[in-house]
Amino acid sequence: MKRPNLKSLLIFLLPLLGGCGKGDWQLGEAKKNVVMVEVTSQTWDYRLPWNPGTVSSARGAGFVIDRKRILTNAHVVSGARYLTVQREADPRKYQGKVLFVAHDCDLALLEVDDSEFFSGTSDLPIGGIPELESVVSVYGFPIGGDRLTVTRGVVSRIDYNSYTHSGRESHLAIQIDAAINPGNSGGPVMQNDKVVGVAFQGFRGDVAQNVGYMIPTPVIRRFLKDVEDGKYDHYVDIAIRWMALENPAMRSYYHRPNDGLGVVVTDIFAEGSSDGVLEKGDVLLSIDGYAIESDGSVRLDGQPVQLEEIVERKFAGDTVELEVWRNQKLEKKQITLRPAEMFSMYENLYEEPPRYVLYGGLVFQPLTANLMAGLVSGADLRLRQTYTLFGQDQLYKETPEPVILTTVLPDRSNVYLAGLTGQVVREINGKRIRTLADVLPALELGGERSVIRFEGDQRPAVLKKKEVDQVMPRIMTQYGITQPNRTELGNRRLAKGSYQQEGESR
Amino acid sequence: MRWAWVLCGCLCMAGGVWAEDEDSRGSLVRVRASIQPYDQFRPWQKKSPYGLNGTGVVLPGGKVLATAALVANRTEVGLEKPGSAEKCAAEVEAIDYEANLALLQPVDRNFLKGFSGVLLGPALRAGDKTEVWQLEKNGEMLRNQAEILSAGVGRYPSDEAGFLVYGVRVSLPKRDDSYTLPLMKDGQLAGMMMGYDRDSQEGTAIPVPMIEHFLKDASDGKYEGFPTLGVSWSPLRDPNLREEVLAPKSGGLLLTRVNPRGTAGRAGLREGDILISVDGFKLDEDGNYRDPLYGPTAVGNLIRTRPTVGSPAKFRISRGGKEMEITGTYDRKAREEVAIPTLQFDQAPKYLVVGGLVFQELTGAYLQEWGDKWSERAPQRLVEYFTFQQDKRPDPEKKVVFLSQVLPSPITLGYQQLSGLVLLQLNGQEIKSLAELAKVVDSCASGNLVFEFRDEPGKLILNAGELPASSEKIGKDYGLRELRRL
Repeated sequence: MKRPNLKSLLIFLLPLLGGCGKGDWQLGEAKKNVVMVEVTSQTWDYRLPWNPGTVSSARGAGFVIDRKRILTNAHVVSGARYLTVQREADPRKYQGKVLFVAHDCDLALLEVDDSEFFSGTSDLPIGGIPELESVVSVYGFPIGGDRLTVTRGVVSRIDYNSYTHSGRESHLAIQIDAAINPGNSGGPVMQNDKVVGVAFQGFRGDVAQNVGYMIPTPVIRRFLKDVEDGKYDHYVDIAIRWMALENPAMRSYYHRPNDGLGVVVTDIFAEGSSDGVLEKGDVLLSIDGYAIESDGSVRLDGQPVQLEEIVERKFAGDTVELEVWRNQKLEKKQITLRPAEMFSMYENLYEEPPRYVLYGGLVFQPLTANLMAGLVSGADLRLRQTYTLFGQDQLYKETPEPVILTTVLPDRSNVYLAGLTGQVVREINGKRIRTLADVLPALELGGERSVIRFEGDQRPAVLKKKEVDQVMPRIMTQYGITQPNRTELGNRRLAKGSYQQEGESR
Repeated sequence: MRWAWVLCGCLCMAGGVWAEDEDSRGSLVRVRASIQPYDQFRPWQKKSPYGLNGTGVVLPGGKVLATAALVANRTEVGLEKPGSAEKCAAEVEAIDYEANLALLQPVDRNFLKGFSGVLLGPALRAGDKTEVWQLEKNGEMLRNQAEILSAGVGRYPSDEAGFLVYGVRVSLPKRDDSYTLPLMKDGQLAGMMMGYDRDSQEGTAIPVPMIEHFLKDASDGKYEGFPTLGVSWSPLRDPNLREEVLAPKSGGLLLTRVNPRGTAGRAGLREGDILISVDGFKLDEDGNYRDPLYGPTAVGNLIRTRPTVGSPAKFRISRGGKEMEITGTYDRKAREEVAIPTLQFDQAPKYLVVGGLVFQELTGAYLQEWGDKWSERAPQRLVEYFTFQQDKRPDPEKKVVFLSQVLPSPITLGYQQLSGLVLLQLNGQEIKSLAELAKVVDSCASGNLVFEFRDEPGKLILNAGELPASSEKIGKDYGLRELRRL
């Protein structure tokens, strides 16, 4: 159960400065492979979606893994327009480029055209999950200087944690008490000559001390395997919610003995991997042969981890086998895994440019995590509720991508419409709006006026089509808008929605 | 009480003048209220008590006018004579939290004998000079010169729609008993101060027309309150919108939602209608009518302050381009007949503890307990029910029962973290109120209690046979004398 992660974050991504490591090996080896990554990136402005965005520069770390590629954090290189890499004790900066980026697990692979850069690097072996309390070393280029820095600490905790870069994902993460600071991002965490993690996030000092997180090797391995086919796919998701089966009355209700095993399925997300296979009230007893404890954990390599970890390590199209207790009978179920596209709204977007439609000064944008984050002050309550309940209430079945009237660019033609910003669009010219792609065709419908209706008890916005055609060039010139819309979805996919059965509702 | 603006004057210089003239004697009385609100998060107990001190206006006949905010959630109200510190308990005879007015009656009916009382003065308009009266410690009157800045429809602390309100400029020195103060004009009552910001030296006052309405309503011993229309509306300035909705040549506002239980809904007005006039007053494109005294004034004043509950209403509307007259009766059912009450003062919150599961009925008071940002901080499902209840709860008898928290006990093992869950059914029976929930629980002596909630985790199970022993233990462990208040 990867929940849409809506927590506001005490956890910060280690912004850019750098990181690398040493265990009981030679520091010289680390020096050979750790690189400083300097990135100039551009961040889209969701309030002015036609603009190319603000440019900023920052520094992070990375390390050469196989004498030809560099592993680092996705958040170090996201939105990169120009990036250079530099090895410790070598003044030369080489231009690098992003080969693959996985925002959901905050990892990226870089390459450098000039093979000279890699001369003298070695194959860094990737290890397993380090023991609790064992010592690890963190390498990077954190705040406080420009040279390679090493800090040491012990493994404090191995557990699921949210990956703040993506905004919604949780994966296995390892907490260490070595000092990790801005600039450590992307640096290797080493133990016994092996990489055991990539430093990536921590708490602000005023929240918690000596709590840093690294991405553990199962996540790294999965990423490296995923990109073997030349592209990165998203994580897959079992797309259910479950509840621990601890309460004795609950156990007896589901006819389970007091053996401390099993969790009960409380929700199945439509269009998800388990849709049509599992049912509410199913008791899950094992996954791929691993017994599920009543708190939802399984024993993997002797370590208790959440049952999702089994799913985590798989890829789209892979299957998991479940032992399910349903109606007092044991059944075997097989689930074919796929990504949970219906939750993509909660994912921070980085490379994809903001999509929008401009119509007579009215700017329509799809509801996304970026849009919510960009809203200056508190969003309209209905908008916020739509966002919050989108996954929980499976609103995506009806509206895979709610469209918002985000801005009214003042123009003499729309002076009475300013009060409508922040409203959720329900229909345009009688056509139900389910995704941004519906907007342009719907605006063509109807007579001489376009009527835009909103959720709730707002007045409609009415525009004369002829007038809109006339004022568009003026508005675009005045507001410096280079293109009237951008609607291509790119690689991302939305929920399909279950409304396609003919007969539009309302 | 987050909305009660204490008039904390601080270091302001006294802009007033001393006065001992006859007409200020026998007009004011100190009001001492002891306040103790219920704790919505622990509905079996009250919060710590505190006191509020204000200045009430003695009316001819010996009753006292104060603001409702001064005596909301009171445990005791007392009156004290300005000069002598002679005290007497008082009862609240009528109170209106929306209009922020309260009428107090001394328990000893002769307590204010000899007080001449204050007459209600005329309504004021912007620019009028007035005074705000305060009491000194020794009972002398401090008259602060004030000016009416504005008269129009604005927000009241505990009201959703808006009433007539005066904006007042006045420099008030810090004095005791200033939680509410009278606004006076030529020795007559012009309004009751209900808010003051000492930085801008501006305040708000409840105007006399509101007070008149309130007193008239209260005079028959049966207080009914201010009527409401029960609609949402939009101005009709936009020529494009006017064309689209076939609006008449000028004026009118667009009804965007009509509560079927409200004055408008019962009269037959519908969403999409254009309201052209009310009781003969024409509405302009911004939703204003022309008030004889105040000029263009929001329609809210026309509907809420002028008529009384039960009086006839006359609407002229345009529907689909055709104009028609519709008549009805003013009431406030849109405000009262709701599944989730918005206002709740002086009332003990209902609750029911079932083996550690604490159930409550959703109220505005519960949500407000989450603080200023309650709409962000409270469980979102509850906020959704509350905010969009009109869409979702046409039946006012269908209360929203929810699990507010879990008191950990052996039988709630595994449920401790749950809260904010709306209850739909118990053992297959739909639950429409806390009382109904109690009945179903009580009727189960053995077997399972299967609670079904709107949201994850969906179902919770308790063993009914274990309830009596467990409830007793919970009562003892957590110090709850009563496990229910229905």
